Amino acid sequence: MSYFLEQVLNGLSYGLVLSLVAAGFAIVFTSTGVLNFAHGSVVLLGAYLVAVLHPTIGFWPALLVAMAGAALVGVAINTLLVRHLADPNPGTAAILMLGVDIVLLTELTRRIGNQVLTLGAPWGASVVSVGEVSLPTGRVVAAAVTVVAFAVLWYLFSRTDLGVGMRAAAADGPTASLMGIRLTRTAATGWALAGVLAAVAGIFLTSFPAPGVAPTVALSALAAIPAWVLGGFDSVPGAIVGGLLIGLTSALVTGYESDLHGVLGTGFGEVAPYVVMIIVLLVRPSGLLGSKEAVRV
Amino acid sequence: MSPPLLSVEHLDVVYDGSITALSDVSLTVGEGQVVAVLGSNGAGKTSLLRAISRALGPYGGAVTGGAVRFAGADIAGLDTAAVVRRGLVQVPEGRRVFRDLSVADNLRAGGYTVRDARARAEARDRVLDLFPILAERRAQPGGLLSGGQQQMLAIGRALMASPRLLLLDEPSLGLAPLLVDQIGEIITQINRQGTAVLLIEQNAVMGLRVADAASVLEVGRVTAAGPADELSASDEVRERYLGVSVPEVAADPLVVAAPEISTAEPPKRLRVEGLTVRFGGITALSDVSFTVEPGTVHALIGPNGAGKSTLVNVLGGAYRATEGAVRYGDEELTALPSHRVAGLGVARTFQNISLALEDTVEDNLLVGRHRLMRAGLVSGAFRSPRVRREERAHRETVAGIAELLGIGHLLRTPVHTLAYGDRKRVELGRALAARPSLLLLDEPVAGMTHGESQDMADTIRQVRRDLGLSIVLVEHDMPFVMGLAEQVTVLDFGKKIAEGTPAEVQRDPDVLRAYLGAAAA
Repeated sequence: MSYFLEQVLNGLSYGLVLSLVAAGFAIVFTSTGVLNFAHGSVVLLGAYLVAVLHPTIGFWPALLVAMAGAALVGVAINTLLVRHLADPNPGTAAILMLGVDIVLLTELTRRIGNQVLTLGAPWGASVVSVGEVSLPTGRVVAAAVTVVAFAVLWYLFSRTDLGVGMRAAAADGPTASLMGIRLTRTAATGWALAGVLAAVAGIFLTSFPAPGVAPTVALSALAAIPAWVLGGFDSVPGAIVGGLLIGLTSALVTGYESDLHGVLGTGFGEVAPYVVMIIVLLVRPSGLLGSKEAVRV
Repeated sequence: MSPPLLSVEHLDVVYDGSITALSDVSLTVGEGQVVAVLGSNGAGKTSLLRAISRALGPYGGAVTGGAVRFAGADIAGLDTAAVVRRGLVQVPEGRRVFRDLSVADNLRAGGYTVRDARARAEARDRVLDLFPILAERRAQPGGLLSGGQQQMLAIGRALMASPRLLLLDEPSLGLAPLLVDQIGEIITQINRQGTAVLLIEQNAVMGLRVADAASVLEVGRVTAAGPADELSASDEVRERYLGVSVPEVAADPLVVAAPEISTAEPPKRLRVEGLTVRFGGITALSDVSFTVEPGTVHALIGPNGAGKSTLVNVLGGAYRATEGAVRYGDEELTALPSHRVAGLGVARTFQNISLALEDTVEDNLLVGRHRLMRAGLVSGAFRSPRVRREERAHRETVAGIAELLGIGHLLRTPVHTLAYGDRKRVELGRALAARPSLLLLDEPVAGMTHGESQDMADTIRQVRRDLGLSIVLVEHDMPFVMGLAEQVTVLDFGKKIAEGTPAEVQRDPDVLRAYLGAAAA
């Protein structure tokens, strides 16, 4: 029983981290209509910055710099590239982002090489135990930070002018600009927010029980894509639900791998999220909480 | 004398570098004035407002000559958001409320530029005072409001910025007469509180009633201008826009060489029996029954939200019936997907126009021929002689239909450059191209001027006479259907409230109450 509980808590905490990444996808998509396939590399960039900076300036300042750096890269991608697309349709932008992803990932891979950089997180490899259930401290911190981050996002989007402006711009850009809302500003804010979330998610995806900062992190961040799609492309609450669902699925499948071995073989935990995504998409194409395109015929 | 609040001087607007939307347009709005701009669809009214709001860019338009001055200053260098900050705020055509945002958040977005919390609270109090319904429904998403309430929300949203000049683009579009009057009174009230108004209207009666002065715009030029009472007295304006003293349409309009568009089969009887449609908890139609005799025009009328479009969507196979049956001849329609319904000879048009905008009129019409095309994918790819012969035949038929509808000269023109009235005709043409025996027309004259809807009525009469099909005509414009339909079914709140010949229905007290409000009954 405690083993099961441990797997569930593991899955939920991992799911919350995925939902941070997924929320980044969703925010960029709603504020600029771009499928940001470079998001995984930005996650890696955040973790990389912390890894190289923490020996000199300490972990927390390094994290601040990483958040700012990832935000800046996001804003730069939008201002320098996305806004200047000659043909601004979602397909072109998605291909552009695949290109950006490869460039960014290649450069980070070149810098990291085959090493696995340490993150220098203060919680190290410690474990919190309550009764028979134990969980890596990093996961507990991750869960707490994620909950706070989503509370801040909720406040921003529902209680501030900037947030209401961003939702209006996402719903109908030309009309929003007739209210005096500057679309360039709401777009930049969206990309910056996504960058900050990516950097935060980056440190949790690379600290214990993960081995450290290595290029494969960019790939594991892509596990958030099923979470994003599952929740609905344009929904932050959807990203949370999607993240939790995917985290839980992959933790349980991995945790009970030995029991499932005969049926599914090893390594199915990595595939499981995509299987769940495909099944949900077949039943609900707009995801669990995504806005259904309500077309009045 | 101080300069007028807004002055538009010799303005030229061009789209895509070549399509002229406005040429040499001049008008002024003084402090505290209401000025109306009247004109048919495609006259350039919306382009004028976009130019004033500096919002042409996203639509591919640009000002190529002349100037717009606001409070004496040229606004050429400003962007849309900066124009709003100067106090020039627009309510766009089609209301465009943020559907997923609550009413309160819609208003908040409208007050985005107002930084001072007290000024904002005052503006909100004023708006809620003007539109108490918005206070009542403040927590609901904007998309759940009715058409009239959405218009109020759109106006309230703009007033949140406390504009010096309010630009209104077609506030009466698609609203029932009672609501149009109400919107007119609201405009007068807003003006009395000190806001100047520039009002774009194709409903000239309403425009001239609330305005101090007006300009008439036709094909991008100002053709008449002056004080509102002078214009309403002018014969030309009366005839073209007010529907006064229009000579009765000849009983037998001129016959264009009848094209070879035979209907596939003779029309059959359409029987709707006990039809009920529910969406979630909302009942859109409840136990509606009527019969359309073969070869007749049967009108479905009712105020906004009566369930007319829902009914057409069930007939066309887009929505499923919750209960009841629809039979066309011996076939049960409610169980069939849209393409099978089309295969039975039922074709439809859409209320809010659903065309491929980048394609030419001809290609859009050819889409309607789809169910009659025989060539397969492979032979089509190799363009065998048989395929080319078939294609030529389809193009000829489509050209004949375009001729019948008076859009023959537009065949090679991309649809996005067409005016609204012409697009409506292309829609009709596409439906006819499918060689239907039953034609469903969903609000074919919504948003048209009196003159334009007269033309459309003639076209519909001619289509029916030349092609001998049954027509189900959905409209909320009562006078329009009176001259066209043999039978009328009146819906209100999803229920049938009356049925009969146009003359019978017109005298029915329930119908008068639904249309004109309790006072009339």
